[in-house]
Amino acid sequence: MIATMALPPPDPEFVLRGTAAPVHTLHFSCRSQEPEFPILFSGSANGLVQIWNLKTHRVDKTLDGHGGKSVYWVETIRGRDELLSQGRDQKICLWDLAEGRSMVTDSVSMDSVGFCRCSLLKMAQDRWLIAMPADDPDEVQVLELPSKTSVCTLKPEAGAKLGMPMCLKLWQPGFGACPFLMAGYEDGSVILWNLSMGKMLSRLACHQEPVMSLDFDSEKAKGVSGSSEKVLSVWSLDEQQNLKVHKTHELINSGISDVTIRQDRKILATAGWDYRIRIFGWKKMKPLAVLDFHTATVHCVSFSDHSRPSERLLAAGSKDHRISIWSLYNQT
Amino acid sequence: MAVFDTPQEAFGVLRPVCVQLTKVQTVENVERLQAQLQKVNAAALQELQEYVLFPLRFTLKTPGPKRERLVQSVVECIRSILSVTCVKKQDLLHELFSELCTCLSSPSGLKRPPPQSEEVKLTVIQALQALMHSAYGDILLSLYQPSTLPHLGFAVSLLLALAEQEKAKEIRTSALKCLQALLLHCDCQEYHRLLDKEESQRCGDLFASFLPGISITLSRMITGDIKQGHMITVSAIKLFYQTVGFIMADEQLRRFPEKKEKPRVEQSRIADLMVHRGPDWVQSTADKLSLLIHKIVESSSVHQHWKVRLELVELAHHLMLKSSQSLVASVGQLLKALVGLVNDDSPKVRSRSSEVLRSIAEQKVITENRALADVLSENLHSLATALPRLMTSQDDQGKLSTLNVLLGSLKLLGSKMNIVLNSTAHLHRLSKALMQVLELDVTDVKIVEERRQGELPASLQHGLQKGQAQKKYFRFFTDERIFPLLQQVCRVLGYYGNLYLLVDHFMGLYSESVAFRKQAALVLNELITGAAGLGLDVLHEREAAPSMDDLKGTITSILEEYTDQANWHLVTSTEEQEEANDKLAIPPSRLRALTEGAHSSSHVLSSAAALEPNPTIRSMNSNIWQLCIQLEGVGCFTHALGKEFRVLLMSALYPVLEKAGDSTLFISQTATGTMVDICQACGYGSVQQLISENTDYLVNGISLSLRRVAHQPHASRVLETMLRHSDASLFPLVKDVIQDVLFTLDQSYDSQAASFLRVLHSLMAALEVFPATAEEPQGNDTGAEGEASLPAHAQVAKDVMERCIHLLSDKSLRVRLKVLDVLELGVTVLHPHDNHLLPMAHRAWPALVTRLINDDPLAVLRAFKVLCTLAEKCGDFLRQRFSKDVLPKLAGSLSSQAPVSARAGPVYSHTLAFKLQLAVLQGLGPLCEKLDMGEGDLNRVAGTCLVYLSARQPMKLQEAARSVFLHLMHVDPDATWLLLNGVCCPHRYPPPHASLRPVQLSGMGRPRGELTDNVLHLLGELEQRERAMLWPRTQGAPEPHGPPPP
Repeated sequence: MIATMALPPPDPEFVLRGTAAPVHTLHFSCRSQEPEFPILFSGSANGLVQIWNLKTHRVDKTLDGHGGKSVYWVETIRGRDELLSQGRDQKICLWDLAEGRSMVTDSVSMDSVGFCRCSLLKMAQDRWLIAMPADDPDEVQVLELPSKTSVCTLKPEAGAKLGMPMCLKLWQPGFGACPFLMAGYEDGSVILWNLSMGKMLSRLACHQEPVMSLDFDSEKAKGVSGSSEKVLSVWSLDEQQNLKVHKTHELINSGISDVTIRQDRKILATAGWDYRIRIFGWKKMKPLAVLDFHTATVHCVSFSDHSRPSERLLAAGSKDHRISIWSLYNQT
Repeated sequence: MAVFDTPQEAFGVLRPVCVQLTKVQTVENVERLQAQLQKVNAAALQELQEYVLFPLRFTLKTPGPKRERLVQSVVECIRSILSVTCVKKQDLLHELFSELCTCLSSPSGLKRPPPQSEEVKLTVIQALQALMHSAYGDILLSLYQPSTLPHLGFAVSLLLALAEQEKAKEIRTSALKCLQALLLHCDCQEYHRLLDKEESQRCGDLFASFLPGISITLSRMITGDIKQGHMITVSAIKLFYQTVGFIMADEQLRRFPEKKEKPRVEQSRIADLMVHRGPDWVQSTADKLSLLIHKIVESSSVHQHWKVRLELVELAHHLMLKSSQSLVASVGQLLKALVGLVNDDSPKVRSRSSEVLRSIAEQKVITENRALADVLSENLHSLATALPRLMTSQDDQGKLSTLNVLLGSLKLLGSKMNIVLNSTAHLHRLSKALMQVLELDVTDVKIVEERRQGELPASLQHGLQKGQAQKKYFRFFTDERIFPLLQQVCRVLGYYGNLYLLVDHFMGLYSESVAFRKQAALVLNELITGAAGLGLDVLHEREAAPSMDDLKGTITSILEEYTDQANWHLVTSTEEQEEANDKLAIPPSRLRALTEGAHSSSHVLSSAAALEPNPTIRSMNSNIWQLCIQLEGVGCFTHALGKEFRVLLMSALYPVLEKAGDSTLFISQTATGTMVDICQACGYGSVQQLISENTDYLVNGISLSLRRVAHQPHASRVLETMLRHSDASLFPLVKDVIQDVLFTLDQSYDSQAASFLRVLHSLMAALEVFPATAEEPQGNDTGAEGEASLPAHAQVAKDVMERCIHLLSDKSLRVRLKVLDVLELGVTVLHPHDNHLLPMAHRAWPALVTRLINDDPLAVLRAFKVLCTLAEKCGDFLRQRFSKDVLPKLAGSLSSQAPVSARAGPVYSHTLAFKLQLAVLQGLGPLCEKLDMGEGDLNRVAGTCLVYLSARQPMKLQEAARSVFLHLMHVDPDATWLLLNGVCCPHRYPPPHASLRPVQLSGMGRPRGELTDNVLHLLGELEQRERAMLWPRTQGAPEPHGPPPP
């Protein structure tokens, strides 16, 4: 009888405490070799970005650049020498972290008051694109970094009634190819934008409620999105660049605040309003595990970029001020 | 003093006496010459040396029997001449040498000592000695020619015979000294010409012929009767090693070809006597010498006199230095001697032998000399093979010397020991011996019995357990010097040995069998200590120390094994068993009865063990030791890594804290010691600092453990230890996990209540001493509830009390008792916040009442304590409820039970009813005082308790009843006085004025009754108190009440 029972869900590897505020975003940087140690960046509601040393499980450094306003997106560029952080103070800060420094060297102001996280795409050596909500509530702006020149502004047709953009994902079919943007909107639709033409290519209304988060697998041309409903929607992009619903997955409790596909495209994780983290097989959306640890809404999930697959970790940040670190499905 | 300075003058003086002596050879004439010689200075005498010697030598050579007196005085005179002059002629030297030797010749040959008197013998020996010293440089060497071999041989035999067979010590010592000079090893202060290589070689060739005689005789002397005195033994040893070392010198022997050289000397008779020191000769001589050396070592190493043992060290040193190749077969023997003397009783021997060992090691005699290394490895091989047998069969002294030898061999071999260790069979043998000899004696029952007294202040424990290892007792030895020696052996193994190989091997033993687990852990701990180069004294540095990363890796893997579920969570007490059984819902009636028998569990346990030889006591004891050794291991590891250990605290600190909270005193003490070790090694100023700087790791461990039912008790122990060792500053950090605890408790009241209550108790105890200043500001949690918001710690106290109210009616007495304790602390913490405390008290009241009136006496007592605290903090709130809900029932039951106890026999005191009565009586007094009860209630209490003052009541109840009245005296002395006097009034109180009516008290004039004694006692007490209260004040003040002091 025991043999037929599923294994009990695992415990976290460890839990990071000490953000003293709800955690909104997480980002790993684990690729560098010894003696550099793996680190995790966390952004919290108190406006702080903390740099966690994953060897000692302690905060090595705290960055305070958003005037106490919630930080909800962080991303590294140039290895871990520079960091972008997006805060509710309507600013995106560029931090110089090289050689032990920690100062803001540049910043971009946004007028948007929404919760939409930016998205970054590396185009070439020292050239990035960043997609962010624009001044006009329903527009998305794409800038080139580090020059900060505007590449395009993605404006929906009049009468589209998409509402505000909620989540963004820049991608390109291959390195050097023309970049695209997947954007989830307040009305529940996901839209594919062509950046070079600034044109909407396809629109898919896959949710009844605002799209909270999405991730796209450009290799399989398949994406997943979560909203405040009880549904995870998996959609695909056909050769004519039309978005189609591929599958929907019913959840027991409603509300997905974040969804992330692991780099190896084998599993995906969701952050739930029901305090739970869910793991699915990406291929067939087979539910693999429900991780029950947090005592409040889980805001974000992130997979580590360890070069050795066996070391890969999953981190989840929650309203309960904790970051749980898990080691899952690594033996492939 | 010399009168005659020039040879001419001297000649003038000496000539007549010389002539006279030549003519008439008498003692008188010799003495006359002697007297004249005194007047001649040395230079002058040197010129006349041969002239003066002539009559003397002539006297000796005159044929016919001679009187001994004459011989003696002649020889004495020769000696005195030789001692101030030089012999510059070869012939003279040769002739004098043989003439002197001839003086002691005897017809019976050399088998027996010469027949002459002792005086003559001594004088001749001294003269010979003087001759050896007076021979001029190269002239002396002329004596050492193949042609003189017979003469030398005679002299050597003669001196050996004298040295061995004479009775007089002086003769024996002088003979040895003379022999030393003859063999060119004189160690006196005078100048001695050093031999060059050629000369040494030649002399060595000559002396080789004497080697058998010299070595055998000397070894006989050395191993002979100890009554001969140590001086002779010492000299003999010295001569032995000097001679052997000279003749068997590797340097000389290296030059000998296989084939015998064509003898340079044509005289074939002498050539036959000569020895050719070729390989065959060396081999056979070394074999024979090895027997002699063996005997010498055997006897001298245990010689009573330290100088003899010291000389043995020199022997070993000298021979190893000079002849380690030729005497390779004896090297093992010599090393054994040295190594065995390293722990000698005499400090001089100790320091010299370790110095010698060190120098041997430093000169790389061992490591570069393959033969020697082979011998040592060989020794180690055979020692390893024999070790298991030796460790079981030898007595402590034998073990000590065996282990000393083992240690010494390991130290000398250094890294070469790996050759032996790489042989599986030998490593196996070695480890088997260690496993055997390190077997602990685990029969001490006390270890299991001693419980930690929950609230022992942390600071007190530090002083007690400053990183000291628990004293261990072993099955197979008692000598206290053996364990340190074994530790040294393991450390040296760790220092030089292949750490991976060794750790792997002993880890294998550790997991292989319970029988070896403790010993293997002991060994592992020491291996690591040694590998880190700590706590040991080595002869030479190892070539490559393991890198910090390697060491860390090794330690990490051992730690993982140590703290693995199966090795860390062992049953060490019956409580745990019971807890485990509780979970299985099997009521183990006997054990339950034991623990319900309250705190005297140790007593009960031992009697239980006596009744039924419980095999688990032994295994629990063994488990306790296992854990202690592992905890000590953590201490060793932290010292091995120093500050680098800080990274490992992530996983290592939690298990240590868990054990610091263990209920077995022994374990918690050891774990506390380990924490002190960690502080020292990792640079934390105190245990408190250690805990507070690593709270994140601990909290992480706790919160993860709380998720697994089986680990919850451990998590609560860790939290308990954290709280016990810390102050309020910890609170913000643990707040997070306390929520987890409460959450988990909510999920599992039944199964885990007991273990969580311990945590809650520690928590509340910590909060109780929480300084008001440390209260953290209420960030964004400030609710708009209207109610004054609580500081975080009070909120926690409130949360905890909520749970306690539920648990007040738990079916387990232990739980109820603990809950009452927690509740009491909670009341104190919440006290400043009345609008939270009072509702809480209101909700707790019904359950508390049940505890007070309808529970086990123990619970009643505790409930009273809670009630008292509650009364203190919110007295008004309770007064009414108490007099309504509780007092009537208590009073009723006391009254109805009183006649029963008054009639009861001695067995009654074991009944529940008795305990209950006692509990209530003991509790009532303080309560009356705290609750500030009204007159009616007080009267009721007094009335109820009065009957218990009866002398018929059991003594304890009388005492308790008296205590009630003592409390009542505080509350209302007058009423109590009146009441008591109503029963019995010992005094008359005449009115102060005739117009007043006399005082009439109902107790007056009563006959002596059952209450009288106690009442009188109480009245006496009351009187004393009144006086103590009154006298310090102004004397004249009118007394407010009570009778005047008599």
